Amino acid sequence: MNILVSGVSKGLGLSISEVLLKEGWTVYGISRSITSELQNLIHLYPDNFKHLSYDLSDTENVKTVLFKNWIGKDVVIHAFINNAAIAYDDIISNLNLECLTDMYKVNVFTPMNICKYIIRQFLLHKIKGSIIHVSSISAHTGYKGLSMYASTKGALEAFSKNTAREWGEVGIRSNCVVPGFMETEMSADLTSEQKNKIYQRTSLKKVVDKLSVAETIAFLLSEKAISITGQNIHVDSGVI
Amino acid sequence: MLSELLLLINTVLSNRGKKTIDSISVSTDLRKDLGFDSLDLAELTVRIEDKYDIDIFENGIVATIGEILQQFEK
Repeated sequence: MNILVSGVSKGLGLSISEVLLKEGWTVYGISRSITSELQNLIHLYPDNFKHLSYDLSDTENVKTVLFKNWIGKDVVIHAFINNAAIAYDDIISNLNLECLTDMYKVNVFTPMNICKYIIRQFLLHKIKGSIIHVSSISAHTGYKGLSMYASTKGALEAFSKNTAREWGEVGIRSNCVVPGFMETEMSADLTSEQKNKIYQRTSLKKVVDKLSVAETIAFLLSEKAISITGQNIHVDSGVI
Repeated sequence: MLSELLLLINTVLSNRGKKTIDSISVSTDLRKDLGFDSLDLAELTVRIEDKYDIDIFENGIVATIGEILQQFEK
């Protein structure tokens, strides 16, 4: 299987890529930068890991840069994992429209535009493809300062549910994975007190294991999940 | 050109388990005359783009074969 994954340079995106590569699948990974961890992974899987540096705030050039020049119309792509995201955190009364627009471009508009072309690629090659969006528990449980970020994830969940309905009859599936708080760069600014408070709101009283999220994504891509579509799968240590 | 379009239309119809057709004209309406639904139109768009590098829906909705041909002239 050939799988397009966004945000592969660090955190969850890196773990997802690793899991998929271990499965023997080919990853078409995009990220703005190349980290040393990503470099290592590219070295480990020179044939199966194809990387493109692309800034997802560029919504306009998705078709030309990603699909025409890089992947190419003859390559059969089986799935898209929309993992990349930026977090603009603040309370609503401080909302900065430029920051909000930038976040929406990366988290929502560009992924939606990628879905347009990935679905076209599925249709061209008659592939019963799969789309997986990485959402966030913040879209379901309120956290102070995360309303704007959470709204981008809520948008993705609604988009995914409707994608599933719209394209189900040609076998295309769309699901969201909803992780709770993980130890990634995105949560690096939180103090340990804040983190503990968050973990106390979970059944397992624990940080969410990145690998568990990545493995859930691999499962949703696999034949084992052939009847699962339009769902939000929570991997959140049991948020209560 | 019409015969090439007919081939693509029949590919879409047969992929979607529908009956293929023998002929089309510029006035043939994809929805009304051929029974295309939005997903059939999507697949036709993809197949035309693959062959001619033209996105027939880029400038709005097309209804007839004649309107598809107009997109080629733009």
